[in-house]
Amino acid sequence: MNRLWTTREVEPNGPTILFNTQSLLDLRLIICVLGILLVIPSLAQRSVSGLVTNPIGEPLIGATITLKDGETGTLTDENGYYQLAIGRADSVLVFSFMGFKTKEIYLSSASQYDVSLEETISTLSEVVVTGYGSQIRSTLTGNIARVTGAALKSKPVSTIEQALQGQSAGVLIQGLTGKPNGIMRILIRGSSSISAGNQPLFVIDGIPLDNARANLSGAQLSPLADLNFNDVASVEILKDASAAAIYGSRASNGVVLISTKSGLRKDTKVELDYQWGLSSPTNKREFLNAAEYQELFLESARNLDEVQGNSSSGFNWLSWMERRFDRHAGPSDWRTGEADTNWQDLAFSERSPMQQASLSIAGGSDKTRFYSSLGFTDHVGILISNRFQRKSGRLNIDHEASKNLSIGVKMSLAHTFTHQVSNDGQFENPMQLVAQMPITPDRNYSGVVFQSGPNTIQPGELIDTPTAAYYNNLIEGEDSRKAVSGFRSLASTQLTYRPLKGLSLHGELAVDLLHRREDGFYGSRTRNGQAINGLGFALTGQRLNYNTKLYGDYQTISTTGHRITLTAGLEFQASRDDRSEVIGQDFPLDALRTLASAADISFGSSSISESSFLSYFTRLNYNYQQRYLLTLSSRIDGSSKFGQAKRYGWFPAASLGWVVSRESFLSNSRILSFMKLRASYGLTGNAFITNFRSLGLYAAESYNNESGLQPTQLANPDLSWESTLQWNLGLHFGLFDDRLSGEIDVYNRDTRDLLLNVQLPYTSGFSSQLRNIGRMENKGIELVVYLQNLVGEFSWKTSLNMAWNRNEVKALANEGDIVDPNFLNAVKVGHPLGVFYGVEYAGVDPANGDALFYLNQEGQERATTNDFNQANFTVIGNPHPDWFGGITNTFQWKGLSLDLNLQVVFGHEIHNYAGQWMSCQACWLDNQTKDQLDRWQKPGDQTVVPKAILFGGNGDQWRSSRYLSDGSYLRLKTLSLAYDWPATLLRKIKIKSLRLYLSGQNLWTLTNYDGWDPEVSTDVWTNNVNVGSDFYSVPQAKTIVFGVKVGF
Amino acid sequence: MKSTFIYSYLTILSILVFACDAKLDLEPAQSISQSIALSTDENVQAVLNGAYDELGNFGLFGGVVPYSSELLAGDGEMIWAGFANPDSEIFLKQINTGNLRVRGIWQIAYRTINIANNILDAIEVVKEADRARVQGEALFIRAITYFELVRLFAKSYQAETTNRQLGVPLLLQPTKDSKEEVFVARSTVEEVYLQVLSDLQQAEQLLPLQNDWRASSYAASALLARVFIQMQDFEQALTKTERVIQSDQFQLLSDYADVFNREVNSTEDIFAIQNTVQDGSNSLNFIFATPEFNGLGSVEVLQQGHLDLYDPTDLRLKLFYPLRTASDTAWYCGKWNLQSGNIGLIRLSELLLVRAECNMRLNSEVGEAPLVDLNRIRSRAGLADKTQFNLEDILLERRLELAFEGQKLHDHKRLKKEVGRFEYDAPELILPIPQREIDLNPMLVQNEGY
Repeated sequence: MNRLWTTREVEPNGPTILFNTQSLLDLRLIICVLGILLVIPSLAQRSVSGLVTNPIGEPLIGATITLKDGETGTLTDENGYYQLAIGRADSVLVFSFMGFKTKEIYLSSASQYDVSLEETISTLSEVVVTGYGSQIRSTLTGNIARVTGAALKSKPVSTIEQALQGQSAGVLIQGLTGKPNGIMRILIRGSSSISAGNQPLFVIDGIPLDNARANLSGAQLSPLADLNFNDVASVEILKDASAAAIYGSRASNGVVLISTKSGLRKDTKVELDYQWGLSSPTNKREFLNAAEYQELFLESARNLDEVQGNSSSGFNWLSWMERRFDRHAGPSDWRTGEADTNWQDLAFSERSPMQQASLSIAGGSDKTRFYSSLGFTDHVGILISNRFQRKSGRLNIDHEASKNLSIGVKMSLAHTFTHQVSNDGQFENPMQLVAQMPITPDRNYSGVVFQSGPNTIQPGELIDTPTAAYYNNLIEGEDSRKAVSGFRSLASTQLTYRPLKGLSLHGELAVDLLHRREDGFYGSRTRNGQAINGLGFALTGQRLNYNTKLYGDYQTISTTGHRITLTAGLEFQASRDDRSEVIGQDFPLDALRTLASAADISFGSSSISESSFLSYFTRLNYNYQQRYLLTLSSRIDGSSKFGQAKRYGWFPAASLGWVVSRESFLSNSRILSFMKLRASYGLTGNAFITNFRSLGLYAAESYNNESGLQPTQLANPDLSWESTLQWNLGLHFGLFDDRLSGEIDVYNRDTRDLLLNVQLPYTSGFSSQLRNIGRMENKGIELVVYLQNLVGEFSWKTSLNMAWNRNEVKALANEGDIVDPNFLNAVKVGHPLGVFYGVEYAGVDPANGDALFYLNQEGQERATTNDFNQANFTVIGNPHPDWFGGITNTFQWKGLSLDLNLQVVFGHEIHNYAGQWMSCQACWLDNQTKDQLDRWQKPGDQTVVPKAILFGGNGDQWRSSRYLSDGSYLRLKTLSLAYDWPATLLRKIKIKSLRLYLSGQNLWTLTNYDGWDPEVSTDVWTNNVNVGSDFYSVPQAKTIVFGVKVGF
Repeated sequence: MKSTFIYSYLTILSILVFACDAKLDLEPAQSISQSIALSTDENVQAVLNGAYDELGNFGLFGGVVPYSSELLAGDGEMIWAGFANPDSEIFLKQINTGNLRVRGIWQIAYRTINIANNILDAIEVVKEADRARVQGEALFIRAITYFELVRLFAKSYQAETTNRQLGVPLLLQPTKDSKEEVFVARSTVEEVYLQVLSDLQQAEQLLPLQNDWRASSYAASALLARVFIQMQDFEQALTKTERVIQSDQFQLLSDYADVFNREVNSTEDIFAIQNTVQDGSNSLNFIFATPEFNGLGSVEVLQQGHLDLYDPTDLRLKLFYPLRTASDTAWYCGKWNLQSGNIGLIRLSELLLVRAECNMRLNSEVGEAPLVDLNRIRSRAGLADKTQFNLEDILLERRLELAFEGQKLHDHKRLKKEVGRFEYDAPELILPIPQREIDLNPMLVQNEGY
């Protein structure tokens, strides 16, 4: 046998991952048997058949079809089809399904009966995609949140993550910055890892995506921006172990299943949707104007002279500052207040247009269904020189080759183009302009040539250093180009064969191909290019991620009501990244921007990285009369990412459900229309680490153009999965004929064998080693409520989701807490991951203007000191919200509808990392926020802003609570007002539907946060620990669009 | 037809799925395993290049080590005119134990030492013809790194004492796994100096006399001279200096300005960090040069404090350039204007001044009379020969000749000269052991004052 089939040891304390050769062999055997079953010919019978759907044409799976007078019955398959043998005497078919009204059909001579069942409770009867299958919500035992395509469609945003914000309980989706296609942080039930990824696994139409970073230059971009969310039929978020365990080793952070639309067996429907609107920043900060700037900075220099005892005759900082004002005012005169530049305004493009267009054509016949679409998005960012465009196309076809064979193809191609801006906090990022002095004019308005150091500035030209205090990155807009363009194709073929009643076999072959090209050019006036006559780079990256799977499911129902669905299969996935990059410098002209013109190629490199997964999975669903429910699932995963000895893991889960309302003692209740209790317990894994982390490695480095090698990584042959043991208790209820329904869940996620970068003393020559050590816990409560407040002509629906989550680090490596002086976030046992750990600021001593800090020493916690180094570090805040959720209200009256979606996030702090420069009472030349005018000036002043002293050291230490503030916010995320033209009017002009709408995003925010925008976590750091800091981060965009949607 | 289709589809899938457990055995394309890296002559020599590369890292000799010495002792001659960051903390001598530059020096120094230790551990693999040279270079790299660590992170060496003050941890074996041996306590200053001397003396023997840009036997001697003068052992310093000067392998350039901003060594360079457009890093450029030369221009050189020390006709003043805007003029040091320029660590003019100083102190004329050496330096700077002179003149000449090249702090310490309002042995003039290391390694003791 293959040497990989080794026995996994049972660890004494860890989760008992029993795994042996025999069980794997058994699994293979099952699959072989499934294969052999293929050759058994199906037995021909006289029968009736057809399709069972819900009112909008979606197939119902597992609906019961019985003969009214007979004993036999059947279930619909996963495509909603049924086939039933009938006798001569049979005359009535009964279609029933939980959550739907039972329907009886009188048989005639026809052999096909397609039936549409009416819903009784909308959320109970929806079909939920579960991964390798689907199920009706009322029979679910796991926790799966579902967002329908209708809830995403036409939102005035760029990416699907943005469209999903605030829609599901326990799913926190937050923008890091306001870049239109920037990455977002998605946390499902909290953060479960420290050093490995904590983002969920995304699966689009069955293809698990590789979550490795896609672009290399500039700010990190959303990996899902290639997807046109108008094509999405539904998004299912698998939250608990029972739901997610079928994705085993990559399911610890939850799984997001995205399914794209299919055609319906109806007339061809064409829909055209176009929207156009404008974006602007949600908020601006207030900075000093020229007069205020002068006042504060001269005072700050004077105060330093006082401290140092400088006399006005010798060197003194006051005259140094005045000379600096001379320098930085350039061609203007600061004494007369000639220039008063609002640099912040220059960073934003105030009314940035956005437009989206989508065209979809869907339809089908009995045998073939199709959905096709074209989409176009153009979103100009609120930050100058930032833009995102997407053009996409999709074709999904389902075809029935015969009664027992269907095949499907799903293909999409998207082209995206991003005009990039850099990460936050870089000199070239436009937000950095706020640091410039207001006394500096942005351009030479003097009308005459001006000499700025070595640079000659013509009238009207931008003024740069040394006149400007910092790089005037408005030059980037004129003299640079940072483009990322990408092609992405997701293509899959599916085959389903049903050799026997109840048995279907599925094969899938899918490819996710991503190609990115990044082109950059910095001209001779830019900071990067000025000393070297221009700098250019070209990067290409290609990721090929292919996925094959083979699985079968068998469904059977006994006449007494026992229903079993068994699913088993195997899957292989391999992903390969190819990258190459070239950097060149010394360009003859700024107009020649490709590397062909570079005189000096300064860097060239190419690289390859690969990973693979091999998986076996199985699931059993059992229910008795839709009353007692049981699900068992398990997955075995092997991955190239882990050490030879420990590369296989087993991830089992079990769950139970009890539909109490179907018991006789409750079935007649007038108040309670539905009630289900469910419980689940299981193990999931996390494999989101970079490749080859188990090996001891040397990598190539060169010195003086000679090749060299350097150690880069210490070996850890024992590296294995991080695993999360999770239990979940849920209650699903419907009251008053389901006018009020909802779900309440309580969970605990215990993550152990954390993939942790264990810090090593630098004296070892290494900084860390990835090991399986430590524990972390997330526990929480989730609540989902649907309310039909008013029904009838004027209807009002409310849906609410709310979640409370508490994260706690339970154990770390022996060396203990991780405190990194780069960051305010620390990892401390007994506290949430990434708590803010620093010195507690105690305000200002009214006597002398010194900043004070609490000592936080045992016995004298509240005593203060003016010496920062004397004060002890303590936990001063938490970047993770306690509560978050969303409320959606939908009002409808005749053709008018109004949607209001509020997002609420509260109970956390935000750290303004840039405070040390922008709010340090004039510690260096950066312009200051207006609140710094409140500084201490004379004894007795009561303020929280210390005495201004140049070069600081007086309370401007960034690792203090001075720069922390409450980050809670309530935000009107989406507001949409629409009018649907009456169909009667439209018929005359041969239009099926016409909708006009006005839609807004982030229109209103209630917050105490004093920065730009509380939805922030700088994109400089995208790891799990360093979250919740604002670092000159772009605020979110406020967008209003007008749209029209026409259907033919 | 139909069944053919189904079977072929399923067969293809089965092949793809079943054939793949071997596909879990993937090897990285950009890296090799540690056992391979140290298994052949060629690879060990490549690792040696890797050690030089780390030595030239911007956080070590690529800039931070030399400029920390200049910033810490910069009072009066320069000001930090950049925004608040780890560098300004060093200038202001308000260094946080979490200071990133300080942490960087420690981290990269020990990375470099570990690479050198790996080479020394695998030295038998190197073919005999190259073995002595490779061993010598690794010893040189280890020694120069430990020497800087002990000078920056420990109390200064006191001649004629046992130097029991805490030095830095001495690691002489490579780290192969992360077991207990990485938790090492600080050795004494004496022990570290002894190790540095022993490594350098061995290297001096092992290394060839000429070795291109790599460390040569003379580089080892020159560094020994620097170590000895720091130990105030002027006899030994003189001997080592004399060995280098007498070799006649190194000549002063006729133009002082040519010494700087070059990508290849000059005849004056004894050992330098190599930078090219493609390779290397230069953080001296980052802080000293103005934006015109890709830097931030954070160090302003003071007219009264520094420039006025030169004779107005001194050609070395050419290395300082004004930035004139409106009515303001600020001065910057132009020794690091070429971003891809080498960073000279030891050059002949230093040795001439060391010889002059030692001869002066010992009242001898080994090699040349002190006045001759002094005037050689002066005449290259376009200055008239001196006839009257004393030790202070030699030391002033040394300051001007080697200005902003990383010697200032260490000269103040060995000469027991105060820096601004700080005594030469003030705790503020010693870098803190990075807090991270104190937290991780219970064996470490923090420096006084932190």
